[in-house]
Parts: sequence; structure tokens; C-alpha cells
Amino acid sequence: MLVNRKLILAHFWFAFAVFGVALTLGAWQMFIRSPIGTWLSNPELYYRSLTAHGTVMGYVFPTLVAMGFGYAISESALEQRLVGVRWAWTGFWLIVIGSIMAVIPIALGRASVLYTFYPPLIGNLFYYLGVVLVVVGSWIWVALMSINLRVWRKAHPGAAVPLAMYANVAGSYLWAWTAVGAALELLLQIIPVAAGLKNTIDAGLARIFFSWTLHAIVYFWLMPTYIAYYTIVPRAIGGRVYSDSMARISFILFLVVAMPIGIHHTFADPQVGAGFKFIHSAFTALVALPTLLTVFTICASVEIAARLRGGRGVFGWIRALPWDNPMMLALAFSFVMLGFGGAGGLINMSYQLDASIHNTQWITGHFHLIFGGAIVIMYFAIAYDLWPHLTGRELIDVRLIRTQLWLWFVGMIVTTFPWHWVGILGMPRRMAYFDFGDPAIAPQALSVTFSAIGGFILLTSGIMFIVILARGMRAPLAEAGAYRFAVAVHQPTTVPVALNTHALWVALMIALTITNYGYPILNLATTAGTSVPAVYVGAQ
Amino acid sequence: MSAEDTHSSSVEVAARVERRWAIIAVIIISGMALLAAFAGIHQATMPQPRVETTDPSRIHLSGEFVESNLGSVLEANGNVTVRAIGQQYSFTPACIVVPVDTPITLRATSADVVHGILIQGTNVNTMLVPGYISEQLMRFGKTGDYLMPCQEFCSFGHEGMWGKVKVIDKAEFANRAKSGGRLSCVGQ
Amino acid sequence: MSTRDLFTFGNPHFTRGVGITAAILIVTAIAGFVVLPFAQPWVQFASVWDAICSAAGVPQRAASVTAPEQAKRLSEVVLTSHTLSRPSQEAIGRGATLAQRCAICHGPTGISRADSPNLAGQYAAVIYKELHDFRSGARSNAVMSPFAVNLTEEEIADLSNYYAYLPRPSAYHPTPQLPKPNIVIYGAPLRGVAPCGACHGSLDNKTGSPWLEGQSEAYMKAQLQAFASGERRNDISQQMRNIARALTPQEIEAAAAYYASQPPDVVKAVD
Repeated sequence: MLVNRKLILAHFWFAFAVFGVALTLGAWQMFIRSPIGTWLSNPELYYRSLTAHGTVMGYVFPTLVAMGFGYAISESALEQRLVGVRWAWTGFWLIVIGSIMAVIPIALGRASVLYTFYPPLIGNLFYYLGVVLVVVGSWIWVALMSINLRVWRKAHPGAAVPLAMYANVAGSYLWAWTAVGAALELLLQIIPVAAGLKNTIDAGLARIFFSWTLHAIVYFWLMPTYIAYYTIVPRAIGGRVYSDSMARISFILFLVVAMPIGIHHTFADPQVGAGFKFIHSAFTALVALPTLLTVFTICASVEIAARLRGGRGVFGWIRALPWDNPMMLALAFSFVMLGFGGAGGLINMSYQLDASIHNTQWITGHFHLIFGGAIVIMYFAIAYDLWPHLTGRELIDVRLIRTQLWLWFVGMIVTTFPWHWVGILGMPRRMAYFDFGDPAIAPQALSVTFSAIGGFILLTSGIMFIVILARGMRAPLAEAGAYRFAVAVHQPTTVPVALNTHALWVALMIALTITNYGYPILNLATTAGTSVPAVYVGAQ
Repeated sequence: MSAEDTHSSSVEVAARVERRWAIIAVIIISGMALLAAFAGIHQATMPQPRVETTDPSRIHLSGEFVESNLGSVLEANGNVTVRAIGQQYSFTPACIVVPVDTPITLRATSADVVHGILIQGTNVNTMLVPGYISEQLMRFGKTGDYLMPCQEFCSFGHEGMWGKVKVIDKAEFANRAKSGGRLSCVGQ
Repeated sequence: MSTRDLFTFGNPHFTRGVGITAAILIVTAIAGFVVLPFAQPWVQFASVWDAICSAAGVPQRAASVTAPEQAKRLSEVVLTSHTLSRPSQEAIGRGATLAQRCAICHGPTGISRADSPNLAGQYAAVIYKELHDFRSGARSNAVMSPFAVNLTEEEIADLSNYYAYLPRPSAYHPTPQLPKPNIVIYGAPLRGVAPCGACHGSLDNKTGSPWLEGQSEAYMKAQLQAFASGERRNDISQQMRNIARALTPQEIEAAAAYYASQPPDVVKAVD
């Protein structure tokens, strides 16, 4: 039951429009700093573009996809009209206004501080205010998801909350809490300086606040992807979810352990104690658990589909899978990229190995493979799957869709694998140009060229994606029927309270944040003399 | 056997398989955590043990990061201490000279914004956060020249912030250290 | 079981969830705060408490180190982005009176015809720092030093604010405009040279770095050479010496000639 289709479409369209712009900027950046581009006479243009790319891809695009998908889940999984439609539109417009407000100073070169802010560098006030508006808009969505679930519970006392909604609400709570870190950094530290009320800032403390957001935000981006793994893919390929409770456990594990691990982004920082670095390293290892569980459950669910289609043998069933189904293709690509990206992540999280690749192109390669690859390819799949239900028209270009997914996969591999390699060679991140003519770094030139070519493959795929969706808006009308989610092999009628509600896990998430972040934050906040003078960018 | 029995036994099978997989996953993860701790102790790339603070706008006035104290110094115990700063957009000393096969302590800080020190081809990699002092242990197994780019965005001149490290023979270093002062390979 | 029983030990999910989480936390805390600190042979801790405090990140002031004596006097100025950021009209007025004695070399409107720097519209922090350095002896010049020695702190601030307030010398073209040399646009990355404009105004301004457009070619060349040879050392922590040393003599000439040929008014005003 999808009633508020316009609302969902608005979220998706704005998300994909800004995604297209940011993708173009990304491809340009890859090109301009590669040996095939010519050096920029104004390096600031590169950092401007980088700030826009990061801000859109990090804060605007995935948030809108999660929100749009969240509204769709709420209406179709609960079979209940969305409560608070006006608020939902308010949230949407706050994000639109916030995005525009943030992008204008970036475009004018007044906020080239990158999406990670990096105080004591300080840009234009409106950039930060814009980001705050985006976050506030998304918090409205968090509240609405919670309220809609509550309304449904009242109408269905004791009933098992559909898996898709359970996961969706878990994702929204994760976002609400993880955004608090960056919000504290912006409101307590950066905005007072950008507004001219203060002129010093504790750069070390700011980095800790940001790490609170920086890692768990990835799991927020990941949530729609995992929801699609569990509740869309098995249905789309004619299988069943292997285990409903395992799925719930995976989502609550994300909720609990995605958060208190962010200090692994500051392993090389001088302002955090080694003990906390170790604790965060160990908890980061735990995050692998829900992913390993998911890989198992999804492979088992897919195997069920294959066997139902007549697949035989220990591995022979793989051939029986519906490989021409875009959803199957997307899942396979996503898993391959998740596998490589995850393996790279294990290196980043381990305290020691991190030192050899920290802040090199390896990191850029890593998160593009995980986010741009494993996660975003499922965003495409979600859009393709939902589109006929949102537009009431059929997506007929299945071949084009397959080509688009293939191109994205190939493009992402061609982009990120060489990136990882030059990272190991020690190529630093975020430089507007490199002197590949110098023999010391000349061996990296070929890899960087490959990456740049990968960037253009990705751009091509991205344009195809938008074209497919746009054409889908004008295809012949066709009733797609009710939007349904996959059912489990043993569809539960009752679920233990702990796995049907979020309270226990939210409480654990907050408790772990206090134990793992409380002291490092309080310690620096109460130490005098750690604030340093702000450095304003673009203040000529 | 009734349909219900088949149902409940298949539930049990599923639960058992899941449990096994969960146990394997936990073993993999604990193994990795132990590996990380072990490597940290025996490969000497632990994070710095202490947090130390300093005032970035006054480091040139007094303390260990005044200009005359920047560079490499041979300590009484045969180890070497290197003191350096990062600033928009250079490291001082811009070329660090150290002996091969010697335990070296790098102590560095930033004079303005966040920078990073990365020595290519090694595990030396640390952030320079203004207000705090970074310390890292290092040891070079081979003589030669290494590049030392700033690895963190530090504003519009970031792409031009590349330092150098020259690893020289132990005897040569000891010889140069005799004359006292702080050594660097600036201008060589 | 109802929602009310969720947070009770009768609920296995609660007991296991909290128990496992707490166990992991305790084990990792003991490992991180006690075991690992003492497992590092190269660090000495006074006691277990010292190890725990260090691992927790309790900030310590760096131990005092005796640095070798400076061979030459260096700059003692502390510059931040808010140095002289809000000048008053009175300060500018006082500066104008004081500036009369600078007019011989720096021109009555802050525009020099004698290979001295043009000061009109220069960043206040730049003039402030250089006057301080002339006064302290960190920088010396036969003509400037005697003038600076007797200036008070307030006079230095007033002069800086006055010159920063003056309009930049517009349409002042001492030489025909030259194309930008590579060293100015791109720097020389692997020699550690950023584009000049990253500090000197056309891209961004690093506090204490002057804008250079339309300044005397001979003056800029002489300063770059003095930085490169180490004859001039008042740049804090070698920030300019690092750059000048990495330049070739040809690049020094090209950069000086280029900047001298540029009209100063193209550089955006300070906000």
C-alpha cells in the first residue's frame, strides 16, 4: 500500500539529481589529478569540488535514499498510511533548503574545508548551517518512523513487527544518535567560530566528535542496502529469507556496535589515549559479526531460490539462479564489492596495519568500494524495484538496467583497485595534483590513470541510471500490484519482545557510547589550553 | 511423521546451522583481534603511549619545538630523537636526516591546522593536530631517500607540502652529530 | 513476556546482551589500559595508575627540554587569525600621523618609488609582524631598524592598521604584465613548494604573508635570495626559508618579475 508516492518520488529524485551532479564532479576530480589531466592553475577549484562531492555524497544523497525508502517501507510493510505526511514534506524541504544553503558558499569557494570540516580551518557560516538543516530534516524522518511504528503497534498489539520496518526503524535510531557527534561539533565548536563569536577551537576534541559520526554514518548508509538484501532480493528472485530472527539479530548488532567504534578513525591522532584506541579497535572487529551473519543468511536464502528453481549439487545450484534478473545481478556485485571492501576494512580497523595505509589513497579506495560500490549498487536496485510501484508504469529496459549495473561494478573495480595499490605505495589523499614526472612517484602514474578511466565508466553508468528512471516516468501505464517484502522460510507469528522492540538495543548503544566516548570527550573538554586559533579559508 | 514434526525439525536444523556459523564468525573475529594485539607488541607500531599538549601559536618562542631544536639529535643511549613541525605548507626541517638501523623517536606538532606525516615505503604515519604533540617510534632498515608528504588536507597549498627523509649510514651520522646541534639534510 | 519485563534479568536477551557487552568491555579495557601499556618495553610507567592514566589520554604538558641557543635572534611575534582584526578609527588616525615619517621611502600614500615595499592596503598582520621583527632585531636593515627600535607596541599596531586601511595602489603598473610562470601557479610539489598564491593572497592568505602584486622586483628578488641563503631568518619556524631554498635562481627571478608586473588591485580586498 503505497499512498504517498509523490513524497517518496520527491526524495528519490532529489537524491538522484544531486548524486548525478556529485558523480560528475567526482569524475572530473579523478581526471584532473591524474597524469592524463593538466594541472589546475587554481588548486582551490579542486578542493571546492571535493567539498561539494563529499558533502552531497556523504550527507544528502544517502540520507534522502534512506528517508524515501523508509517511507515506502512504513507504508507497504505496515500496510498503513503514513502518519505525519506534512511533517515528512517539511523534512524534505528542510533538506532541499539546507543543501542549497550549503552548496552556495562551496561554489563560491568560501567553504573549501571538505565535508569532514577539519577545524581549525573555518569556512563560511552558511555552509555549516546548511549541513545542520539537512540533519534536522532527517531527524524529522527518524521521529516519523518511530511514530508510525507506534501507531501500528497500538492497532496490532503483540504482533511481530515486519522485518523491513524493524530494520528501518533500527537504522533511523542509529542515524539519530550517530548524527549527534557532528551536531555537537558544529553547534558547540565550529558555528560559534564561523559566526565570529569565538576565535579559538579545540581541533583535537572536534576530531573526536566527528569520529562519533564518521563511522556509524557508514552503517546508516548501509541500512537500506541490508534491508534490500533481506527483504527485497529473496522475493525478487523467488526465494525465501532463511531466518527471520537471524536477520533481526544482525540489525540490532549494527545498532549496538556500529556506534562505539569511531575512534579507529583517529588511531594516528595524538589527542586520544592508546587504551581507548584499543577498545575501539576491538569493538570495530565486532562489526564484522553482523556482516558475516548476513552473508550466511543471504547466501542461504539465495540457495533456497536456486533449489526451488531446480538447482542441484553442492555448488551446482549457483547456475540455476536467475542471473538475468537485475536484482540477482546487483546482489552478486554488491557481495563481491562488500567482500573486498570488508577485507580492506579489517586492515583499517586493526590498530597496527592501519599505520601503513592511514590517510593514503587506500582509504579513498576502501570507502568508495564499500559505499559507492556495495551500498550504492543496492540503492540502484531498490530504485528499480520500487519504481513501477511509485510511477504505476513498467520499467521495460531490463537489458539497459543490466548493462548499467555491470558498468557500475566494472567501473568501481577499475577505480578502486588501483587506488588501494597506490595507497600501499604511500600516495596521500586530497591533493589537487601530483608531479608524476618525478621519478619518485612516476610508478604510480599508470594506476592513477586506470582509476581516472574507472571514474568515467562510473559516470556513464550513473547517467544511464538516471535516464532509465526518467524513461520509466513516461513508460506505458501498468498496475504493479501491492509492494511486498520477502517472507521467511518460517515466518514468525510471535517474536521475543527484545527482537520486536528497539529499547534494549538503543539503551546498549547509548551506554556503550558513554563508556567508549564519555571519558575522551570530557577529558579534552575540561582540559584548559587545548584550543587553538581558527584559520579562516578563502579570507583573502 | 506429521507436517508439524517436519516443520519443527527443519527449524532445529536451521537453528543449528546458524549457530555453527555464528561460532565460526566469532572465532574469526577474536582471532583477528588477538592478531592485532600481538602484532602491535612485536612489530612496534603501537599508538603513542601519552597525550601531551602544547600551544601552537607559541611553539617558536620556547619549549622543544623552537627553531634551534628542530632536527635530529643523537641521544646518550645511541637512540635518535627527531623533532619536527608541520605548518602551512612545509615541514621544518624540510629534509630530515636519520641513521639506518637505529631506534628513532619522532616528536612533532603542528603550528596552525591539522597536518599529517607519512613516510612513503614505511609504517611511519601520524597526524599532527595543533595543540597536541605526536610521537612515533621508527627504525629504517635501508639507507636512501624517502618522500614525506603531508597526508591530511591543510588548505589550498596542501598539494605542495612534501618533505623528505634521508636515511644515512650510522657512522656518517655519528660523525656529523659530533659537532653538536640539530642535524637535518636541508640544502643538501 | 511484556515490554515491561524487557529490562529484567528474567529476560534472556537482556541478560545475555548486557552480559556479553559488559564482558567484552571489561576484557578490552584491561587489555588496553593495563596489559598493553606494560607489554611495550620501550615505554616506562611509574605505576599501574600512571599506565592507566596515560592509556586513558590524560593530557600532560611536554617535559621541558633544553634547546641549543639560537645562533641569531628570531621572530618573537605571535600571529593568529585575529591579530589586529578589528581596527578602530582612532587607531587608523594615529597611524596616519605616525606614517608621515615613513613617507620618504614608502611614499606619501604608501606607494613606493624607491624599491621599498608598497604598504598601502597591505595586510595589517604583515606590517605588524615586520615592524616587531625590525624592533627586536630578528630582521635588520640599515634604514628600517633605527626607525623601528623606538616604536611602542601601540604605535606598531596603529601603523599596521593605517596602512591596511589605505586603498591598494590601483592601476599602478610599473612594468608590462607578464604571463604567470609555472613556479607561481603550481609551485613545485615534490620540492615542497606550494603555489605562491596559497599564502600570498591570490588563492588564500596565510596570516603574516604579504600580498606581492606590484611590489618592487629588485626587493622581492633580494628577499627571496636572503631567505634562501639564510641571511634573513625572521620567518617563523622557517616557513619561507623552506620554500626559497627549494627554488632555483631562475625561478626566483621569474617569480619576482611576475609579481612586480601585476596590478595590485586584482587581489581581492580583505574581508
